Amino acid sequence: MKVTISGLEFGYSSSPVLKDVNLEVNGPQLISIIGPNGVGKSTLIHCINKILSPTKGVVMINGEDVNGISIKEMAKKVGYVPYATSDAFPLSVVDTVLMGRHPHSGWKSLDHDLDVVYSTLKLINIEHLAMRSFDELSAGQHQKVMLARGLVQEPEVLLLDEPTSNLDIKHQMEVTRILRNLSQEKGILIIMISHDLNIAAKYSDNMVMLSNGSIYAVGTPKEVLTKENIKAVYGVDSEIIESHGRPHIIMLDSEFDDVSEPLPPESFVSGRKVVEEHMERGTRVRDIIEEQS
Amino acid sequence: MAEYSNSKEEYYRLARRKRMFAVVCMVLTVVAFFASLTVGFYKVSIGEAIGIISDHLHGTISDIQADSIIFNSRLPIAIFAIIAGAALSAGGAVMQTILRNPLADPYTMGISSGASLGATIAIIMGTSLWAGFSNSEFIVVMAFLFSLIPVGVILLFSIKRKTTSTKIILIGIAVMYMFSAIVSLLMVTASEDTLSEIYAWRVGTLALVSWGDILIPLVGTVGCLTLLMVSNRRINVLMSGANCAQSLGVDPKRTTLIQMVIISVMTAVVVSFCGTIGFIGLVGPHVARIFVGSESKMLIPASAAFGSVFLLVANSIASVSGPYGLPVGVVSAIIGCPLFIFILIKMRRNAWK
Repeated sequence: MKVTISGLEFGYSSSPVLKDVNLEVNGPQLISIIGPNGVGKSTLIHCINKILSPTKGVVMINGEDVNGISIKEMAKKVGYVPYATSDAFPLSVVDTVLMGRHPHSGWKSLDHDLDVVYSTLKLINIEHLAMRSFDELSAGQHQKVMLARGLVQEPEVLLLDEPTSNLDIKHQMEVTRILRNLSQEKGILIIMISHDLNIAAKYSDNMVMLSNGSIYAVGTPKEVLTKENIKAVYGVDSEIIESHGRPHIIMLDSEFDDVSEPLPPESFVSGRKVVEEHMERGTRVRDIIEEQS
Repeated sequence: MAEYSNSKEEYYRLARRKRMFAVVCMVLTVVAFFASLTVGFYKVSIGEAIGIISDHLHGTISDIQADSIIFNSRLPIAIFAIIAGAALSAGGAVMQTILRNPLADPYTMGISSGASLGATIAIIMGTSLWAGFSNSEFIVVMAFLFSLIPVGVILLFSIKRKTTSTKIILIGIAVMYMFSAIVSLLMVTASEDTLSEIYAWRVGTLALVSWGDILIPLVGTVGCLTLLMVSNRRINVLMSGANCAQSLGVDPKRTTLIQMVIISVMTAVVVSFCGTIGFIGLVGPHVARIFVGSESKMLIPASAAFGSVFLLVANSIASVSGPYGLPVGVVSAIIGCPLFIFILIKMRRNAWK
């Protein structure tokens, strides 16, 4: 599985979003695309899976121009997991994932497709959700179901648009770890867009850093995530430390360093019961009720 | 992969249970079908009704009046109700699914207003433009042709431009308002007799259906339903949105337009004969969704079966209401809407977001 992008240019009507993007990625691995908002990360991904057609340049998958590949054939090669989904009519998890089998459906049996679906659900540890309705799930579970749908397409390349965006730290780590492991176990080239540089740095094999619609840096997390690159692309000062062989970014904010200044006394936060607190302060219960109403 | 046999068994068991809803509706349809032959001003028992039909088929008609009422009036009306209910309700189910909008129905694309305009023009002109057409045939032809104008507009529009489902709904609504305005304009100039005919047509009634009105809706509906069922997996995939659908191997624009043309034709063949019966295309699929969920392979037949039994019952009630019976469109809305709201309130789980 090899994706080659050469001289890619894309623009919505007048303003160019991507210009002169050249990129070659090969082999099973997890690649993160990073860069500030509006830099063209999603556009780049949509040019790879033919949802958008570039104004100029060529995208090739295994040496084949994507323009010559039919939509159905494309779906067997490239899977896509969108950024946050909202289905108007939620299906069960099995039926949702089953959609991913569509590119492979001839008159083949539902039974075989169900085998593929259940084995994939098992692979990412969500078999217990199989008969649940998609809209009853949490954000982390949603993301895993969408990932399962992408996987049952049995693609060679899997594209993900911010797969960890509304997840808590545990699920961010879990989903990204699954992606990294899948790329090796299933031999897939996985390309994801990420805004969390530390999560991306921890699990990605390689990174692509975009700036102003062009590639700014390509390489291992260590090569890409340098103080200079982060300053140039995001305009943010940082310190890079190393943790378990991976770079870890500590953000610095020169405009905000007065954290030591004490709060005025009337600003406070308390986790105790309201009544207890007022008792301690000597307030009568009637006053509390009046105060609250 | 025997290890998933338990999980698969669970899936199949649920699928069988969902199928039961359609089966129950079909059984009720058969019951309602015979019951509907008995009700009206001329009262007969089910046995007598079957006897009259059997006599007619064997060429041994004993009572000409009974034969004319049961065989030539109630029987075709009951058959038509089954066809129309299935077409409108299944059309609504697919329309909601592909446009990802619970408010969509077969009339979303202005089919009803197009048909109304065609019928109004035909009624006002009174006489046929083309030799060989009777008045009523002319109304049907005009209604059919005009009902396909809105989908034609959407097709033309989407050749060059990107068509989102919201845009399609908005175009449909715009066309609907324009056509309704033209109908109102025409009605201002119409005579009193013509007015009541236009009015009756717009509300939708099965009372005038005869044997000659069965063949085209039957063939059209069965054909279109078959086409929709064949595409059930593609229709499901469209639910995931345009970008996802494409990445799952379905051309979103082409598939949406093809399904819309199929639904338009299916709706038009029915509406042209009976006028615009509202409500059922919107609510039929929602009732079915509550029982079988939104997966198209289950939803399309379930909606069709529910639509049939609902329209049959509504029409039976309509035919015994008031001194001369009422248009079925009025009855289906008056009974159906409170029922639907009741189901919505009672329902524990949402079938849609």
